[in-house]
Amino acid sequence: MLDLIFIGATALFVIGAVFYVRACEKLRGAKL
Amino acid sequence: MTANGWFQIFLYLVVIFVVTKPMGIFMTRVFNREKTFLDPALRPIEKFLYRLTGIDQKREMRWTEYTIAVLLFSGVSMTLLYLIERTQKWLPLNPQKLPNVEPGLAWGTAASFTTNTNWQSYVPETTMSYLTQMVGLAYHNFVSAAVGIVLAIVVIRGIARRETEELGNFWVDTTRCLLWILLPVCLVGSLVLVSQGIIQNFKPYTTVELLEPQTVQVTGADGKTSTQQVAQQVIAQGPVASQVAIKEFGTNGGGFFNANSAHPFENPTPLANFIELVLIFAIPSGLTYTLGRMTGSQRHGWAVWGAMAFLFLAGVTATYWAEARGNPLLTGTNQHASASQAGGNMEGKEVRFGIASSALFAVVTTDASCGAVNSMHDSYTPLGGMVPLINIMLGEVVFGGVGAGLYGIFVFVVLAVFIAGLMVGRTPEYLGKKIESYDVKMAMLAVLILTFTILGFSALAVIKPFGTAGISNSGPHGLSQILYAYVSSTGNNGSAFAGINANTLWYNSSTGIAQLLGRFFMIIPIMAIAGNLAKKKTVPESAGTFPVTGPLFATLLVSTIVIVGALTFFPALSLGPILEHLLMAAGKVF
Repeated sequence: MLDLIFIGATALFVIGAVFYVRACEKLRGAKL
Repeated sequence: MTANGWFQIFLYLVVIFVVTKPMGIFMTRVFNREKTFLDPALRPIEKFLYRLTGIDQKREMRWTEYTIAVLLFSGVSMTLLYLIERTQKWLPLNPQKLPNVEPGLAWGTAASFTTNTNWQSYVPETTMSYLTQMVGLAYHNFVSAAVGIVLAIVVIRGIARRETEELGNFWVDTTRCLLWILLPVCLVGSLVLVSQGIIQNFKPYTTVELLEPQTVQVTGADGKTSTQQVAQQVIAQGPVASQVAIKEFGTNGGGFFNANSAHPFENPTPLANFIELVLIFAIPSGLTYTLGRMTGSQRHGWAVWGAMAFLFLAGVTATYWAEARGNPLLTGTNQHASASQAGGNMEGKEVRFGIASSALFAVVTTDASCGAVNSMHDSYTPLGGMVPLINIMLGEVVFGGVGAGLYGIFVFVVLAVFIAGLMVGRTPEYLGKKIESYDVKMAMLAVLILTFTILGFSALAVIKPFGTAGISNSGPHGLSQILYAYVSSTGNNGSAFAGINANTLWYNSSTGIAQLLGRFFMIIPIMAIAGNLAKKKTVPESAGTFPVTGPLFATLLVSTIVIVGALTFFPALSLGPILEHLLMAAGKVF
C-alpha cells in the first residue's frame, strides 16, 4: 500500500511540475 | 591556525584556478559539439546510443520541452531506484543478504539521489546491497550530475543565443556530458584513488578478531545496562572506489559508508583528501569559464569566478578560525595546534586530516552542493558549524553544485543587474540582453521556493513531536540540527548535523519533498528566464549599461547574494548557532 502511495506521489509531483512549467510559460506576456 | 593550514587552503585555491580554464574549454567544446581528443573513441558509442533510442541529434528543444524532458527522465529514474531498493533482497550482488529497504526510507533515498542531494538517513553498509549501491545510487550520481550540468549549459545558451527558441536537445546534451566529461574523469579518478588505498571489491564483509578485546556498557531496549565483551569486528567493504570519484566530481556526496569521507576506505590519505576536494570544485569552477567562452565575454566569466572565490575564502577563513580556536569551556586542555601538540581542537575530526583540512572540506562541500564530509559538522563549534549552514542557505552559489552553482548564481546575477539598473535609472541589461519584469519575477520565484521550503518545514518540525523526536541536543543546537536538515535537503546538499535521527517517516518524507521542490521548482523558473533571454535581440552597450565584467560587478554580486541570504535566514540563525555561541561564551552548552 505504501509503495503505491509513494509511487503515486512521485507521479503527482512530476505532473504538478509540468503544470508549473506551463504556468511559467503563460506568465510571459501576462500583466501582473 | 598554522602556516601549514593556510598553505593547504591557498594551494587548493591555486589548483582550482589552474583547472578552471582547461575544464571550461573542454566543456565548451563538448556542448558546442566541436572536436575533442575523445571523439574517435566516443563518437561511435554516441551514434549507436542515438540509433538505439531513436534520438534525432539535430533536433533542438524549446525551454518547456527541455524542462519537461528533465522532469520525465528524473521521475522515471526515481521510480526505478525506488523499485530496486524495495526488491534488493531478491536481486543479485547482495552477499550480506540485506533485506528490502522499507518504503519511507526507499522513497526518501530515491528523491535524494535523483535530486543530486544524497542525503542519507540510513547506514549504507547495513542497508544497501552492492547492486543498489552500484546500479541504483551510483547511476544517479552520474545522471543527476549530468542533468545539473546540462541545465547550466541551457542557461548559458539562453544568454548567448539571440532571437531563437532553441536551447539544445536534453538527450544529446546528457549523453555527451556522461560520455565525454563524467565517465572518463571518474574512470581515471577512481584508479588514482585506488592507488591511495580506496577499495573496490564484491566480497562479503570480513569478521576479524580484535587484538585488544573491549568491555563495553550496553543499554538495552528496556533501559537496563549490561556489560558486554566485544572480541570481534565486522569490516564492511565493497565497490567503493567507483562510487567515490563520482560522489565528489558530480558533487553528489552520498557515501558508500556511513562515515562518508571520514572513513579510511573512502578517503585514506591526505593526498586522496586533496584529490577529492579538487574533484568537487573542478566542474563548477570550469563552468564559469564556459560561461565566459560561450557568451563571448571571458571577463564576465572571471568576474563571476572572482565573486565565488571571495565568498569561498571568507567562509573557509571563518570556519578555520572558529575550529582552530576551539571550545573556550574546555579550560586546561591545549586546543591549539603547535609543535608540541599537533592536533589542536580535534573534536569531530579525523587525525589524518587535522583542523585545516577538515575546515576546508566542510566549506568546499557546502559551497558546492556536494555534502560529502570528512569530519562531523554537528561536532563543530557553533560558529564553525554555522558557516556550512550559511553556505547552503546562500543557495550554494560559491562555485556550487555541478551546473546548479552556475544556474543558481545566474539568479543573483539577474537580481544584481536589475538592482544596478534601478540605481542608474536605466533598463537593466545583461550581456546585451534587456532584463525585464518577467525575468525578475522568475528569479524571485526561484529564490522564494527555497525560502518557503526551508523555513516552512523547519517551523513545522520544531513545533511538532514528530520533528523534535529526531534531535539529540536540546536548545539552540537542536534547532540547528532541524534547520540544517531542511537547508541541506532543499539546497540539495546532503550533508547533515548528524546528531539528528532522520530515519523516520516524517523526516524521510518531508526531506524528500524538500529535495524535489528545491531541485525542480527552482529549475523551472530559471529555465523560463533562459527561454525568455534566448528570444531577445541583443542591444548595443551604451553609457547607461552596467558593466558585468569588473570588480564593481563582482562586489555588487557578492552584496546581492549576502543581503538576500541575510534578510531571509538571519532570524533563524540568530535562534540557532548564534544563540548557541553566545550561551557557550556564558558557560552553557547543549
